[in-house]
This record gives sequence, C-alpha cells and structure tokens, in this order.
Amino acid sequence: MVHDAQMDYYGTRLATCSSDRTVKIFDVKNGGQILVADLRGHEGPVWQVAWAHPMFGNILASCSYDRKVIIWKEENGAWDKMYEYCGHESSVNSVCWGPYDFGLILACGSSDGAISLLTFTGDQQWDVKKISNAHTIGCNAVSWAPAVVPGSLIDQPSGQKPNYIKRFVSGGCDNLVKLWKEEDGQWKEDQKLEAHSDWVRDVGWAPSIGLPTSTIASCSQDGRVFIWTCDDPAGNTWTAKLLHKFSDVVWHVSWSITGNILAVSGGDNKVAYTL
Amino acid sequence: MEELDVEPAITNIPAASDGKHLGFAWGPGDILAYETLYMAPGMCAKGSGCSFIHEVRKDEDIYSPILRKLFNESHHIFVGLQTIREDLPSKNKKTQFVSISKNYRSVIRACMEELQQVAASVLVLQVSILLAIELIWNLCEVLFIDAAPAGPLLLHLLDWVRLHKGDVDEKAREVLQSESPAEHHDYWDVVVSYVLQGRFEEARQMLVKQATLQPAARNMYKLMDTLLSKMPFYNPGGTQTLTEFDVKWRHWHEEVDRCLQDNSFASNQHLEIICKILVGDEDTLLEHKELLSTWYHFLVTRLLFCHPTVKPTELHYYAQSCMTMFLDLRSVPEPLDSILLAAFEFDIHQVIKDCSIALNNWWFVAHLTDLLDHCKLLQSHNLHFGSNLREFLLLEYASGLFTHHSLWQLAVDYFDNCPEFGHVYLELQIERVPLDTERKALKVLRICEQRQMSEQVRSICKIMAMRALRNNRLGSALSWSIRAKDAAFATLISERFLQDYCARGTFSDLDLIDNLGPAMLLSDRLTFLVKYREFHKLYEENRFSEAAKLLLSLITAKIAPRSFWMTLLTDALPLLEQKEVSHSAHCALHCGFGHDLCFILQ
Repeated sequence: MVHDAQMDYYGTRLATCSSDRTVKIFDVKNGGQILVADLRGHEGPVWQVAWAHPMFGNILASCSYDRKVIIWKEENGAWDKMYEYCGHESSVNSVCWGPYDFGLILACGSSDGAISLLTFTGDQQWDVKKISNAHTIGCNAVSWAPAVVPGSLIDQPSGQKPNYIKRFVSGGCDNLVKLWKEEDGQWKEDQKLEAHSDWVRDVGWAPSIGLPTSTIASCSQDGRVFIWTCDDPAGNTWTAKLLHKFSDVVWHVSWSITGNILAVSGGDNKVAYTL
Repeated sequence: MEELDVEPAITNIPAASDGKHLGFAWGPGDILAYETLYMAPGMCAKGSGCSFIHEVRKDEDIYSPILRKLFNESHHIFVGLQTIREDLPSKNKKTQFVSISKNYRSVIRACMEELQQVAASVLVLQVSILLAIELIWNLCEVLFIDAAPAGPLLLHLLDWVRLHKGDVDEKAREVLQSESPAEHHDYWDVVVSYVLQGRFEEARQMLVKQATLQPAARNMYKLMDTLLSKMPFYNPGGTQTLTEFDVKWRHWHEEVDRCLQDNSFASNQHLEIICKILVGDEDTLLEHKELLSTWYHFLVTRLLFCHPTVKPTELHYYAQSCMTMFLDLRSVPEPLDSILLAAFEFDIHQVIKDCSIALNNWWFVAHLTDLLDHCKLLQSHNLHFGSNLREFLLLEYASGLFTHHSLWQLAVDYFDNCPEFGHVYLELQIERVPLDTERKALKVLRICEQRQMSEQVRSICKIMAMRALRNNRLGSALSWSIRAKDAAFATLISERFLQDYCARGTFSDLDLIDNLGPAMLLSDRLTFLVKYREFHKLYEENRFSEAAKLLLSLITAKIAPRSFWMTLLTDALPLLEQKEVSHSAHCALHCGFGHDLCFILQ
C-alpha cells in the first residue's frame, strides 16, 4: 500500500514509499513510468518521502515506523544511503526539507513526541538538534516556512549571508498546531494554535508571494481544515478561519507552488480549494 | 477572491477501491493520486487494493500541436497590446483595440480551420469550443470594444450572425449548381434564410429565377422585389440622422403591412411567408426555428424587422424574451446561452466568470479580460477587484503554460506584465523548469539575470555546478560556481583540480584557468590554483626569475593549502639551482622555505 508519493522539483521523477518497506523511484518524463531505483533499508512501513532541492544533488529523505530516518543520495547513477538517523524512540511520521537558503536541513516528527532537526555540515557529517516533548503523545506533521529575511533583501550587501529566521510548523496528537523559531541556535516554541478537537494529521505552510502575510493550513481527525493567517511580519497574532468541515477524517493538506490552491484529501474524495 | 457559487466539476479517479482514502501529491502541473491504507470508518477492504498511481492533469490543451500556434500567435498580439501608449487620444485607441480584437479572432479562426482539416473525431469537440469562443469574442467586440450606438449596432449584429451561420452559403451553392435551381427542394429555404439574415440582394437574385418560371405571377414577384429593394438600411457614414432613418423605416414597414392586409401575396404561400417575415411577425419567425437554428439569430432577425434602431441598453430585454420564446422546448439553457445573454446585458463580469467556469483553459478569459482592461471597461463596471481580475487570470494562464517544455518561455512575458504578483510568480515557477541541457539552463539563467532575480540565478548555477562536478566536468563546474559567486563551491572544485594535478602532473581545462581574470579572487583556493598554474607556465617558458618571485609570493601569502606545501617545496628546489634567479629571490626562497620546512618537519 502506497503511503506517500512525491514529485521532484521538476516533475521528472517520482518517489513513492509503502508498507512493503521499500522506497521506489520512477522516471516519469514524457508520461512514462520507469522504475529507476528500489531502495531497501527500512524495517517497517515507510510513511513519507521528501526530495531535497536539486542544488544539493539528487537527495531523498524517508521516514518509517521502524523509528529511522534515512537520507538517500544518488551518486554516479546509483542510489545509496547517505545517512541514517536512529534518534527517535518511536515511529517517525513526517519529514520535510527546509528552504535551500538554510542549507540542507531536515525536520522530522515522531510518535515519541519529539521533533529532530538534522543539518548537513559537510563531509558526511550531520548536526542533530532535538526538540523533546514538542507534542505530547506524538507529532504527526512538520512543514517549513519559506525563507524570509527581516527587512529588505535588497539592503544586504552581496556575498554576505543574510540573517534568515528559521521557522516551521508542526501538528500533533495533542490537537495542537505549534510554530517553532530558531533563536541563537536553539529552537523555541513560538506559538501554540488551538482550534482542533482531535489529532492534527497534517500541516502546510503556504509559499510566499511577497506579501507580509503568512498562511498555514492544518487538517485533523476531527474533519476540519483551518487556515491560519498572520498579518504582522513579527508573526505574533494568528487568526484561524475554518475552511470546511468534512464528514470524515482529513489526512493531508498541500499547497500548490504559488500558494493559490490548497489541495485537501480525506473523507471519500479529493477536493481542491482556491484561496 | 470571489467564491464560486457553482459546484465544481468532479473528476473521477478510476480503479480506486471502495472506501479507500485517496492520497495525493502536487507535481508542477498536475496532481498524483493514489490509494492509501486509510479507510472510511465502517467499511472493510474489498479486494487487495490498487497499487497504481494516477496522474491527474488539469488541461491537455497545451500539448496539442495545433493549439500551440494559438498560444504563440496570441502571445505576440498580447505583447504588442501592452505597448500601446497611454497618451493616445481615445478615438485612436478605440480603433487600435478593435483591430487587436480582430487579430485575436483571426488567430482563433485560423486555428479552427487547421483543426477542421485534420478531421479527427476527437478534435470535433475542440473545433466546437473554438467556434463558441470566437462567437463570444465577436459579440464582446461589437458590444464592449466597438460599443456601437443605436443604428450601427444592428448592422454589426447582423454581420455577427452572418459570420456564424455558414451553412446558408453552402446550401445556396448546392441549389445554384443544380439543373433547375428554382425547383430544387432547398430553394425556398435558401431564399427565406437570406431574408432572415437581411441579405436582400441575394434574395432578390434568387427570386428572379423563380419569377421567370412563373410568368403568370409576374406582378407578385415584381412587388416583392420592390419591397425588398426599398427596405432602408441605416448608413453610419451618411448624413441621415437616426430619427430620419426611423421615419423612413416606419414608412416602409407600413407599406409591407398594407400588402399583407391587401392579400397581395395570398395566392403564393412562400411569398406570403416572406412578407410576414418582413413585417416582423413573431409567429412566422418562430415557425422557421430550424432555419434560424439559434435564439440569438432569432433575436437579431426580430430586431431587424421590428426595431432596427435598437439601443444598446434595450438589448437585454429583447435578448431575454427571444431566448424564452425560442427555447421553450428545452428546460435549461446551455452555458453558451447564459454567456451570450450576460453579454447582451452588458454584464462583463458575468461573461468572464461564466467563461472561466465553462472552459477548462484560461486562454480565452485571460486575453479577453486583458483587452477589456486596456479599454478601461472593467473599472467602469464597478468591480471591487478591477485590475486584479485581469492579473489573476493572466497569472493562472501563464502558470499553466509553465509546465510545457517550450511554451514556458511565452509565460515569462505574461508574468512581466502583471505588476503585482508577476515577478514573484515567475520566481516560484522558473525554478521548476527542468534544466535538461546546458543550453536550456543558460536560457533560464538569462531570463533571471535580466530581471535581477539573483536568488534564482544563484540556485540555478549551483545546480548546474553540482551536476557538472558529479560528471567530473571540472571546468564546467568551476565556471558555474563562479557565475553563482559561490566561494565555497569554487574552493571545493579548485581542490579537485589540485588533487588531479598531484595525481597526474598536469592541469585540465587550462583555457578556463588561464583566462579567469578578476574572477579568480572569488576564493583563496581558486586564486592559488590560478597563480600556481601561472607559476608552471613561467617555468615552462624558462622565465625563472619571475617564476621564483611568484612562488615566493605564493608561499608568503599563505594561501597554499597545507597539503600542497611538499609540492611547492619540490617545485622550489630546481629553481634554487637556476643561475637566473636573482640573489635576493634566492635568499628569500631559502628563508621562506627554511621557515616552512621546519613547520613541515614538525
């Protein structure tokens, strides 16, 4: 049973993962479907896959019930394990790569309630930061905010690395949606958004179209999909708007590239909303 | 954004087992759907489930080779439209806008003709869609862009109907080419059709053929001929005012009515019918539904014979009643009917909205709205997002183009002309263009550089540099990383170059390294690489003095990587034996190396 499928940046490759513990990669150029790789390494159903930005090469992350996160890399046409992270005590449910401006950084959410952040520091080394007890009972989803610099990017002298504020959103079994911010190298809980009455199954931070507003979508076991918006650039006041209440659990939310369509799945059909 | 008050179309995904939840993922232009483990509560799995992944694509039109011409040529017109100067007097602008509208329409027609020639059954739908689009566009041009007042309005509407009812000419041709046209079974249909369309010259010519066959009825035919020739048509270029025309027309109308009352045509059923049509008898008109075939033909014909001085503001009343009268057998009007009705009501917003819903491609609404916006028609209709509607539609259309492997380049111009979000949409979309070849990457890069999209430039160069490095094309990787101004990467690649040198004793990509110029300052390692190569060149050219000086500066500048010190040492030894090397350089080398030698030996 396929649990997740993700297209790469250009829509030329497809990665799928399933309960048969494998991760498969297909070449889907020109409408074809050619199996390019069959990656084995997990010992349990694989829940999610995520493609890193192509500037880092062909890199794919996968997370599984076996508590592991594996990062795969393609070298000379062959796929191999680049890194294996075993720091969680329970199923890892979600992985999400940060914006490429932050480098190669992966957020992982697990049923042990913790969120890990794996940063590639070069030469096969990965730095690990863990947020323990991010959500009691478990974390189901993580999603990064787009890279935004406080103030104008135009003012930055070229060549200097801008001071990005790293933020991401997570959803958990405590029915909460939480926002996290990195300050002085440490991750802190920035906001706690309450609206759902059951487990939050997925969260998605909308892409930025240059406006000072931020938008997040969250969906839950309670059948509701909420849209959270924040108008102030400091990111302090968030307002929730109920998009829709479905008759059944909603599993997945996902924004289109330009953030003008939100796709939602759950219940008995797939629905897309324009916002 | 306004909410849709219409149920969106449902797309069924085949082979999804009952009760299983669908998962999905976004691709650049489509959505992937697949069955998941999850199930609706209360249901049990039937069968082993489906392990396929379905690709749901929003619109296939961009892949049609004939439609591609439509996209290409309309792009050309679009770009030209954006450059019309704001300061032109409005009268000149109107002429230009009408001309542009006609250009768009001729592109649609050309496309239609090509499609018709291909004659594949699957394209029939495509042709009928284009026909409908051109019909709507033409009406919008007449009503909104040309904005004809009472008088010319009817003439334009007559042209409109004539243009879109091509089968009359076909039938006429058939009849005229027959042995005895006046006895052809379609003869009277043709005559009546001509009359219904106000084509009296042709009607009269046809009637002459019948007249010669019936010498006994000669007077009747003469009378009809006179009536037809005397019907007044408004002349927009003439000196007659609308009122004068109206008086003349009413005069003529009374004359026709008198003929009816006098039973002048009573003995000839066909001529009697034509007379009733000329007087505008609704029942007679409705009896010819088959010849009229559409309610809007009925509308224009009715106006022609009842109210030729119709004002634009009166149109909607007639349109509504004609539609009701004509369509009484059908319960629900089709989308095309609603759109045309909205146009007759001058509800531009409704027209655009209905077209957006009815068509699966944004091409039509995007271009038409853009043109209407240039005519300053959107604002005057009190929309609360006047110009944003234009931008919204253009953005949607252009985003759709972006998924195509070559049409994406057209999309760039559309984004350029969307002042609010065009730039950021372009930024988000252009990163997704697959950089299959170096040539394509350069194309994308040029577009980004021209628009000061420095983030995207950096990203693309980095991707290309990475790719080149993976394929061991060091020279290419180096030039990409220089273009990306990526010091770290340049350092990495320079190291590789140096490693290669140590392994093989020679440098690769000498052309590139020798001609870097100031770019070599991007990273210390790169500078060292260039200078080191220079040192070798000097040595080969027996310019030992300079070579020694250079080597010395390399050592003292401390930009040599540690791993290279032994190599530099080895390089220095033969120099020390050269007589040409100056004494001071000699000493310096000794000292310099003496110091470092201790370091190395530690």
